[in-house]
Amino acid sequence: MAEAIGKIRSVAEVVRTIPSGSHIGLGGFSIARNPIVLVHELIRQQTGDLTISQGVAGLDTDLLVGAGLVKRLIMGGGSLDRFGPVHCVNRARETKSVQCEDYTSLSVCFRYLAGALGLSYIPIKSLLGSEILERLEAGTGTKDVKRAECPFTGEEYVLLRALTPDVSVIHVQIADPEGNCQINGPRWENEEQAKAGRRLIVVAEEIVSTEYIQRSPERTIIPGHRVEAVVHQPFGGVPTAVFGCYDYDAEHLRMYVDYAREPERVKDYLSKFVFGCRNHWEYLEKLGGLQRMEEIKADRILGY
Amino acid sequence: MPAIETNRAGDRDRKVRATEIMAAAGARELRDGEVAIVGLGLPEVASVLARRTHAPRLATLLEIGVMNSAPKDTPVGLADSRTFYRSTCWSGFLDVMGMNLHRGVVDTGFLGALELDRYGNINTTLLKKESGKVRYVNGSAGGNDVASLAKRVIVIMRHEKRKLPLAVAHLTSPGFVGGRSREDLHLRGGGPSRVITDMGVLGFDEKTHAVSLLSLHPGVRLEDLVANTGFPLQIPKEVPRTPLPTDEELRLLREEIDPKGTHLK
Repeated sequence: MAEAIGKIRSVAEVVRTIPSGSHIGLGGFSIARNPIVLVHELIRQQTGDLTISQGVAGLDTDLLVGAGLVKRLIMGGGSLDRFGPVHCVNRARETKSVQCEDYTSLSVCFRYLAGALGLSYIPIKSLLGSEILERLEAGTGTKDVKRAECPFTGEEYVLLRALTPDVSVIHVQIADPEGNCQINGPRWENEEQAKAGRRLIVVAEEIVSTEYIQRSPERTIIPGHRVEAVVHQPFGGVPTAVFGCYDYDAEHLRMYVDYAREPERVKDYLSKFVFGCRNHWEYLEKLGGLQRMEEIKADRILGY
Repeated sequence: MPAIETNRAGDRDRKVRATEIMAAAGARELRDGEVAIVGLGLPEVASVLARRTHAPRLATLLEIGVMNSAPKDTPVGLADSRTFYRSTCWSGFLDVMGMNLHRGVVDTGFLGALELDRYGNINTTLLKKESGKVRYVNGSAGGNDVASLAKRVIVIMRHEKRKLPLAVAHLTSPGFVGGRSREDLHLRGGGPSRVITDMGVLGFDEKTHAVSLLSLHPGVRLEDLVANTGFPLQIPKEVPRTPLPTDEELRLLREEIDPKGTHLK
């Protein structure tokens, strides 16, 4: 589809439009649909002082923290499922090198929902009685949470300030050149996060024609008019899984977790797999190229 | 939650593992026709077992946005595509945890825990070493939301003194904080109702909201359970034994639900 340019941009071009100090709403969940191609480019271009918000942080956020590019985290939690914890994030919290504001999956989603609806805040019945709320109130989250009674019923709520990232980055299976995106499988807080963003960049595994989107418009989660740019990168989420396209690369994830345990070895990982690759195609070659991609490619029935 | 490596409870003749007793005990807490939201690991295994036995119409929701999946292969966690297979609905946090859990229609929340204290408060955020050094772990994800909002909460975890302390190192998800009622805490959900460990099943006293012992697993001595609990336990005069899994439950667990022993090790 070489002629279908539309909003399709190279990842290097797109990342150049994201200034250091930006707040990025990052679309991965643990080891699923992480926009790895864009994260690698942020690291290559050394886009720093970032604020990252996310429901459940995964490899995407762990890489950015490991590369020293994050100053603030707003997240509901984080893990790499059975492969291990997000070592870089956890270590940064222990050494206090990153300011981290802990929420929950639903409260992050509600904050994005408020942003997406153009509301300045939203009430929630989670967080009450927890140390998560106490820590937010006592720390840097104090400007974003407030206890209040419902003016109608008198019920006690936590009010959450809307979250509107400077740019949201969502990884999807298919998009057309205008940015109409269809997501296959569960979507965690992607829709709210995408629509809360002041800008929206999507990474698509495959570019399809608008005619193809028109065949099943009910599957369009993000409409094209909200999208600023589309990065087209097959296997762009490897080693995380993209449902219906490919499974996670278990071997690589295990290796990553092993590297991530030691700060010095994180540097080795980044120099080998990020700085040592001019682009995502070279990175995929390092992981075993076409043969490896064929091995992790999804079964059409199973989706993994 | 981490795999259970030591099997203190069990039945040597039938080689029943503690994790299998836990999964079966968990499944029995789930009722047909109800709505459950389950975490990864043993809660997921128990919910699949319940649906395959006495609760075929149990609605099983996963926070990521998956309903009633029937995995063919054992998933490594919630974000694993294996948990998406043969689902009846794919949505997201806003639907599962907003318009179901927050809406108040989820009967049971089924969680794991790093630490749980005498009032059923859960910690999944950090561990404090004796030196005072803090080690961070996964955080809440949907855990706090489920503990705050489900009508009742079941926790499944390993029974160790350090994991069952008088007070948790970080109160991630509220139980009966400070022994207070849920109304007093302004929480809509009913709070913790069962804690299923590899040594027994625990419940909560209606008045004091403190943990009480409900049953001991076969092969476990009462004094060992007490010695492995970091807070005072209410113990009934006659302690019943947790029923062992039936042959059919064992067959399902071993041959169909987790044949590789990913969660039932």
